[in-house]
Amino acid sequence: MATSAYWRTRLCRYRLIGNRCQSCDRVFFPPRFMCPYCNSTKLEECKLPDRGRLLEYTIVYSTPKGYEAMTPYVVGLVELENGVRVLAQITDVNLENIKEGMEVEACIRRIPEQLEEKIICYTYKFRPVIK
Amino acid sequence: MREVVIASIGYTRVSEHWEKSLKGLFMEASLKALENAGLNVKSLDGLYVANAFAGYLQRQTNLANIMAESLGFFDGFAISIDSGGASGGIAIHEAYNDVARGIRDIVLVCGVEKMSEASPQDVLLAQMSVGDQEHFRFSGITIHSLAALIYKTYMKRFNVKQEDIALMSVISHEHASTCSHAQFPFKVSLEAVMKAPIVSDPIRALEIPAPCDGAAAVIVCSHEKAKEIGLPHIKIAASRIARDSFNLNERSDLLAMEALVRASRLAYEDARIKPSDLSFVELYDDYTVMGVLALEKLGLCEPGEGVKLLKSGEVSLKGAMPVNTFGGLKARGAPVGAVGVYQAVEAYLQLVDSAGANQVKNARVGATYCGCCFNSIVVVNIFERCC
Repeated sequence: MATSAYWRTRLCRYRLIGNRCQSCDRVFFPPRFMCPYCNSTKLEECKLPDRGRLLEYTIVYSTPKGYEAMTPYVVGLVELENGVRVLAQITDVNLENIKEGMEVEACIRRIPEQLEEKIICYTYKFRPVIK
Repeated sequence: MREVVIASIGYTRVSEHWEKSLKGLFMEASLKALENAGLNVKSLDGLYVANAFAGYLQRQTNLANIMAESLGFFDGFAISIDSGGASGGIAIHEAYNDVARGIRDIVLVCGVEKMSEASPQDVLLAQMSVGDQEHFRFSGITIHSLAALIYKTYMKRFNVKQEDIALMSVISHEHASTCSHAQFPFKVSLEAVMKAPIVSDPIRALEIPAPCDGAAAVIVCSHEKAKEIGLPHIKIAASRIARDSFNLNERSDLLAMEALVRASRLAYEDARIKPSDLSFVELYDDYTVMGVLALEKLGLCEPGEGVKLLKSGEVSLKGAMPVNTFGGLKARGAPVGAVGVYQAVEAYLQLVDSAGANQVKNARVGATYCGCCFNSIVVVNIFERCC
C-alpha cells in the first residue's frame, strides 16, 4: 500500500467520516461516489456518531501477516446511534467480557504498519463504553 | 436464441500440484477437453480463462493472452474473467451468451487456479483482495471473520447448534470419498470437524476449503457443432448473474443473500423448472454455513430449514436432492476461480451418466451456483440432459 493511498482514507480512519446522499438522506460508510439507491452523485461529508451497539462479533485466530502480536483479536459489526453499521476490530476488552448488544465507542488504534515508508498507521476500532 | 451445449470436458485432480505451473494446469485441462472431442485448437472461435488470484499470488496478469499463447491459439479472441469465486461461472455464462446469440459457434472455457505454493498468510491476503482494498485492507477484518458473523447470526436466528451446520462438511467429504478428482477423497467425522482448530470463532478449520491447485475446461458450442463432435453432450438451460451489496455492513440482513435468491429464481424461470425438479445441486460452500444458507436461498427448503434438510439424508447421493455430488468446495476442493467450471464438469458427468460411484440415479437436470464475497456476485447455471 502506498503512503498516499493510506493518506487518502485519513478522514474515514481517524474521524469516522462517511458521506450522506443529499437527495435521499442515506448515509454511507465507507463513503461512496454515488448513492446506489437514487443514483445521485450529490453526496456530502458526514461525521458518524462515535457510539453504538455491538450487533455481532467473532474472535479471530487465523490472521494475516503483521497481526501475530495481537492475535487473537475481535472483529465485530457495530450499529451506530444513527443506524449506520460499521465493521471494525473491537479492542480494550477481555475476550470473556464481550457480549452482543454491549455499548461501544470509537477510538483510534495503531495498526500493523504496512507501508514501505515505515510511517505509523492508525485506524478506528471500537471499545466498550466505560460507565 | 440457439440451444447451447457442453460437448466435451477436461480437468485435473484438485490437489497440491507442486510439479505443475498455472500454465501447465491450464494446458492439461484444455488439451484434454480438446482431445476428447477430437478438436484442433484452430477449430475454436474463442477462449475464456477464469481465475481469481494469479495477479496476486503469481504476479501474473493478462492471463487469457498468456494462456492463448501457450495453446497456440492465434485466430480468435481470448478474455480473462476475474471475479473471485464467481469467475468460473461467469466464464461459462459469457460463452453461453456468445453461442446462444450466434456470435460464436465453439468456445473453450478454462478455469485455473494455483494457490498451494503461496504461504497460508498470503492466501488469506489473496482471499481478502477480492474485497474493497481501499478501506478494508489492514483493518484486521478477515474473510473468515465476516463468515463467522454470518454463522453466528444464523445459529441464533434459527436456534441451531454448530454441529448441525458442520454436518455439511461431513456430507461433502462422504461424497468426495469416491471422487477421483477430489482434493480430499476421504470421510471425516463430525467429531473431527468439531475438534479442528478455530479459524474465527465458531468456524473450525474443517469447515472451510484448503488452498489447492486445479484446472477444469469445457467446450461450449452450438447443438450442430456438438453433433459433429459426436460425444454425449448436455444442454445449458439457463445462466443468470445477480449482484448484491458488497460490504456486509451495508446489508440490512446478513442472511438475506438477495443475489442468490434473484439469480436462482430467474434461472429457474428461464429453464422452466421448479427447484423440486432438480436432480442435483452443486453449491458454493466456501463455509459450511454458506452451504446451509444456499439450500434455503435456492428454494430447496424453507428459511431456517437448511439444517433439517441436511439431517434428513435427502442431500446424500441416494437422497431426493443430492448436493455437492463430488464433494463441493470443502472436499473436492476449491481452486477458487476454477470452481464454476469444475461444477459444470461435474454436472456433465452426472447428466451423461459418467459419474461412476457418485452417479445420481436418473439425473435429468442440475443446478450449479458459485459466488464471490458472500454472494455479492452470484452465477446460477442450469444444465439438462440432452435426450
